[in-house]
Amino acid sequence: MRGLALLAAGLLQAAASGAPGLPPPGPPEVESRGGQVSPLQALIDRASPGDRIVVSEGTYEGDLVIDRPIALVGTGRPLLLGSGAGSVVRVRAADVSIEGFDIDGRGGGDLGQDTSGIHIDAPRARVTDCHIRQTLFGIYLREADGAVVERSRINGLPGRPPGEIGSGIHVWNTKGFRLEDNLIIEVRDGLYIQSSPGGVVRGNTARDLRYGIHYMYSDDNLFEDNTFANGDAGAAIMYSRRITFRRNRFLHNRGFASAGLLFKECDDVVADDNLIADNARGIFIEGSYRNRFRRNIVAMSDMALVIYDSSGDNVFEGNAFVGNLTPLWLVGRRTDTRFTGNYWSDQDEPDLDGDGYADRPYRLSNVFDHLRGNMTAADLFAQGLAARALGAAERAFPVLDAVPVLDERPLVRMPALPEVPPLTPADRPAAARAGAAAWPAAMALGGAFVLLAGGRSPLTRRRRDVGRRV
Amino acid sequence: MAALWLCARHELLLAVRSRWLQWFAAVFAGLALLVASSGYILSGGHGLQDFARTAVSLVQLVLLIVPLAALVFGALTLSPDRGAAEILYAQPVPREVILAGRVFGLFLALGAAQLLGFGVAGLAVQWSAGPYGASQFLVVVALSLALTAVFVTVAAALASGEPGRRARTLGLALVVWFVAVILFDLAALGVASLLKSGAASRLLITAALVNPVDAGRTAAYLAIEGTAAFGGASLALLRFTGGGASAGAMIAASFLVWVAVPAWIAARRLGRADL
Repeated sequence: MRGLALLAAGLLQAAASGAPGLPPPGPPEVESRGGQVSPLQALIDRASPGDRIVVSEGTYEGDLVIDRPIALVGTGRPLLLGSGAGSVVRVRAADVSIEGFDIDGRGGGDLGQDTSGIHIDAPRARVTDCHIRQTLFGIYLREADGAVVERSRINGLPGRPPGEIGSGIHVWNTKGFRLEDNLIIEVRDGLYIQSSPGGVVRGNTARDLRYGIHYMYSDDNLFEDNTFANGDAGAAIMYSRRITFRRNRFLHNRGFASAGLLFKECDDVVADDNLIADNARGIFIEGSYRNRFRRNIVAMSDMALVIYDSSGDNVFEGNAFVGNLTPLWLVGRRTDTRFTGNYWSDQDEPDLDGDGYADRPYRLSNVFDHLRGNMTAADLFAQGLAARALGAAERAFPVLDAVPVLDERPLVRMPALPEVPPLTPADRPAAARAGAAAWPAAMALGGAFVLLAGGRSPLTRRRRDVGRRV
Repeated sequence: MAALWLCARHELLLAVRSRWLQWFAAVFAGLALLVASSGYILSGGHGLQDFARTAVSLVQLVLLIVPLAALVFGALTLSPDRGAAEILYAQPVPREVILAGRVFGLFLALGAAQLLGFGVAGLAVQWSAGPYGASQFLVVVALSLALTAVFVTVAAALASGEPGRRARTLGLALVVWFVAVILFDLAALGVASLLKSGAASRLLITAALVNPVDAGRTAAYLAIEGTAAFGGASLALLRFTGGGASAGAMIAASFLVWVAVPAWIAARRLGRADL
């Protein structure tokens, strides 16, 4: 069964990206290499375990293998310029730490060999404050239990299709890792985590890529306070259980089938206090059970929720759904997803008893949504009066009871959700940032006065004459 | 030309003096202000409701109110009544020129009233929500003026050649408004739901370009929100029309046809009318 799922996942991923799907990856890179060897290699070869090697400012061309437990510290941001034939820095011993380097991979290497800026194949490594650019993978953690990557920055290879580049931080078969305060741009997946339980991912930003964070077969993970933007999905959680995430932001995933959050066969996830805004689909759930969504904001999506009927026992409680074109697209004929105490910005039932909840349940689906499920182009009319009229008619004459999905106790006012991170002006799409509104407003006013005054100008006499003649 | 301009200014003068237009300007400004400020309130301090969304709410207002106002004012003022019209059209100026002047004057008057509303609302948004969204704002203004032009000429087509039957013209105008704003969409959706998905999609996209209200809505949303406006449907539309530029051209052409054809009908009917 697991094998079948693996195969299916592999197919799915291959279809999505054209990339070879799931590893198991090949053996770690062969250490004999055609590429140039860094001049720093001699320093490492002479070092004893526990040594601290300080590297000063400058450019060091060639690749580096660290095969003993040392600390490599750069002062003045030395640049490690790789050979372009393989990983720039390879960590092959436990307890290695690397700090303060710029690393450039020259865009070369081999995806099948996991060519990275820093490739770690040993436990308890620590990477701090490294800026990695032009590499297929940024940092690769391979069976690197207890690894820490913090305050680092990874710029991938812009313009290349996802199938031809690797992830920003790639974690494979690693227990108890920690990834904090990193910035990742233009890679395949920002943070890719496979078969790796017990990790903590906190305070990272990943944008302009395919998936912001991507879990595969990784149970018992936590991610919080991250921002994932401008991708095909903010977070893609697949075949993983008991993942907890909170206070993250999933923004501007606007492609044709993009989603803020994508769940595929993952169970017992808890999602609290996240902001999921401006996505084509807010939350996409397929084949997933017993997931709980509490106090999140889902805003400005084409579809707030897409739920397949292969899912079950999911609960939405106390969330705010604001300004979405449609609240729910149900794929299939049934759902037992439970909605209670959520706020829906298009909910218009009154609250006569004043208890803060609308007097009647909120319907997440109507005839128009049913229509648009079958015809994409119907969305062109979604904001017209006709769509509203259809909805109202259905409420009045419920003859076409498609699949009723209800929020039994919809909130009438948007709840204050202080833990949800706000959308800052820097998050606005560029188009919305252009220019001040005051000018056109003032121009409009001015134009109006000119026109209206035109009706009463000194030429009036002549027009009065006309009036009299008329 | 001078005669046309004279007629336009005459019509503008009459409109500015008219209580009805003053009321329209005030109500429109009030509604625009209400929409703009409620858009801001909805943000609830979470910064979600940016100016683009306010502009979107204004689009809804414009799509409803502007065609209605243009049709009603057009029906009321452009119907040639016994008396004044007789004298006016007796002047040694072609009837079409007089008609064109009056239509243009009415367009200027309604446009001025709308600009007043937009100006007030825009300044309010600027003051309360910050300087985001100049281009969106201009899109809404342009939409409003385009719809005014279309429905004033449609009203002229309805009104010309019906001397002394103002009530009937007004009734017709209301029917036209109802069809344009809601019935057309319902019919398109209804028919489309009976077709296969490819044909349905083509029908709906064509419908969205043909009806001026839908064309205006489509153009405004695409201009304001980009392809995010209708999700997958935007992409379907762009693929159908062959890109953003040609979609814009088609919508502009739709508007032009909706001005030109009713104008031609109006001129023809007026030419034949026994005044």
